[in-house]
Amino acid sequence: MSATLATPRPTIAFAMGDPAGISPELAAKLLALSEVRESADIVVFGDRRILDEGARVAGVDPAIETVDEAQLAASPRGRSVFVDLENLAVEDVTPKEATLAGGQFATGNFRKALQLAAAGRADAVFFTPFNKKAMRLAYPNYDDEIRFINDVLGRSGPASEFNVLGQLWNARVTSHIPLSGVAAAITREAILRSLTLADRAMRDAGFQRPRIAVAGLNPHAGDDGNFGREEIDVIEPAVAEAASRGIVCEGPFPSDTVFLRAKAGVFDAVLTMYHDQGQIAMKLMGFDRGVTLLGGFPFPICTPAHGTAYDIAGQGIANIGASREAILLAARMGREARMRAAA
Amino acid sequence: MTRPLVLTLGEPAGIGPELTLKAWLGREASGLPPFAVAAGREQLEKVARKLGLAVPFSKVEPEDAQAAFATSLPVLAGSPEIDVEPGKPSPATASVTIGSIDRAVELVRQGRASAVVTNPIAKSVLYQAGFRHPGHTEYLAALSARFWGGAEPRAVMMLWSETLAVVPVTIHVPLRSVPELLTTELIVDTARITDRDMRERFGLAKPRLALSGLNPHAGEGGALGTEDDAVVRPAVEILQAEGVDAVGPLPADTMFHARARANYDVALCMYHDQALIPIKALAFDEGVNVTLGLPFIRTSPDHGTAFDIAGQGVARPDSLIAALKLAGRLTETTES
Repeated sequence: MSATLATPRPTIAFAMGDPAGISPELAAKLLALSEVRESADIVVFGDRRILDEGARVAGVDPAIETVDEAQLAASPRGRSVFVDLENLAVEDVTPKEATLAGGQFATGNFRKALQLAAAGRADAVFFTPFNKKAMRLAYPNYDDEIRFINDVLGRSGPASEFNVLGQLWNARVTSHIPLSGVAAAITREAILRSLTLADRAMRDAGFQRPRIAVAGLNPHAGDDGNFGREEIDVIEPAVAEAASRGIVCEGPFPSDTVFLRAKAGVFDAVLTMYHDQGQIAMKLMGFDRGVTLLGGFPFPICTPAHGTAYDIAGQGIANIGASREAILLAARMGREARMRAAA
Repeated sequence: MTRPLVLTLGEPAGIGPELTLKAWLGREASGLPPFAVAAGREQLEKVARKLGLAVPFSKVEPEDAQAAFATSLPVLAGSPEIDVEPGKPSPATASVTIGSIDRAVELVRQGRASAVVTNPIAKSVLYQAGFRHPGHTEYLAALSARFWGGAEPRAVMMLWSETLAVVPVTIHVPLRSVPELLTTELIVDTARITDRDMRERFGLAKPRLALSGLNPHAGEGGALGTEDDAVVRPAVEILQAEGVDAVGPLPADTMFHARARANYDVALCMYHDQALIPIKALAFDEGVNVTLGLPFIRTSPDHGTAFDIAGQGVARPDSLIAALKLAGRLTETTES
């Protein structure tokens, strides 16, 4: 069997993000990368004028055919196109500010991209950074991406955000909640759910047998109960239960060294209990390369871990590294999905 | 005459003796200041034999340690001898472990030694022998009161490396207790001690302190927790009003990369792992534990007794070496 037959070409639905920051330059730079164009067919949603402005700022030429929605609906898979929604003029962008217009642009693009994938016409979704404040202006129910995606897809099953740095993944049990609420949210069920989701998402990304290290909650992972009992009462039983279900996991480990063990290759992922436990380590290991993957949905959704970077927008200096990693992960996962479907 | 550092015995069945020997053997390569060990020679000699390390000893008074240091490892005369197997701790040695700490602090008080560097102890072993203090640092605070008189000082733990220095405001407590234990007063108190010792011991004219937020994104304006605005920010304002160069609360996940670190000298973190995760990631082997707030200089390696590898010769002395070097540097700054 030849490689071309074994690896079907995935399609990525690409949503242009917040127009006031670095998203337009990133979109233009990405589409101009041959490595990215070779990895997948890409269907971009946005406004061609915004893309062209991003290309001007970045000094690149993202050669991509422009179509409208009707043409997209009529055309088969198998080519990259820019779907011009004509939803924002350059003069209506307020640079470096979170605005209603910016939020409407980003939510509109994201909705179309999700719908394309939900209709089975794309295998993965990618977006350049959103601005949370702008998203809220445009969509008052916007808590985070997961809530928005669930609303668009009309679903409510478990989903989670993962951070990916090269081959190292970080899954979390809790994320954007006050620290005072963390201990109560660390339940056996929540840990099991997180481990199950992480295991699934990593298998979808091509890991045959993902090995997951589970962090403790307390200093020194509780030091045998001296600094807290959650490790003994909650985390250990959850890890044992997950292991009995075939998930390759160990822990709890002290959180100040667990990432070092994982980075050394002992584990493929770390499951953390709260936001900063994972984010401090991951950002230190790769501030410019981190990818966010939203998993648990019928298709993978990837984006760079960084934000809209209003401070450096418009200068053409935005680092493409994390966006490149993110779209290539989307391509890889999309390809895996097609292979599974074909099998 | 330069007064030596005094290094405590620590847990004799742990990796302390091995690290002590290795540090002395690397004295020239590492540029170590002279130190004397507050311990008998027999246990150290036994470990040296076991590991095949050629270390000559000299039994000295502190005043003779500097002269002896170049050619032998000075141990303090009058220290009790013990005999214990590496990896097999015994409560019978607890009184000697504690006595070594007492002697080190007393020598500094008497002006016969310059600073205390401690080898790791095993609290569980000491507890079996009736030791009642929560930990090493708390015991040193108690000794400060014993030898200097007055109230017991509040000791503040700092983890220091060339790349990053961190002070956890709350330390060995369950994470669920952190929000209730964290008060504006505790933060201000910790920051004042840190600021003073960074000036007096580290020689910084105006130390720059960065305070982390407690919650994700430093609370994001209250959406992710109220403590950052209600507890941490007022502490920063009080400190600024006193003339301390303090900023915060900063989101903890974006304050530790190189560009962010260039803006401060020490990070005050709200809980243990918020401080320990970044320093272990940036300086795993070279981190030093420095106790601020005491009437004397105290450093120690930032690892434990490692009974599992004691006596095998594989323990790395990097952190002890860093602790000895830093103690020497702080002594020079403090006394200049």
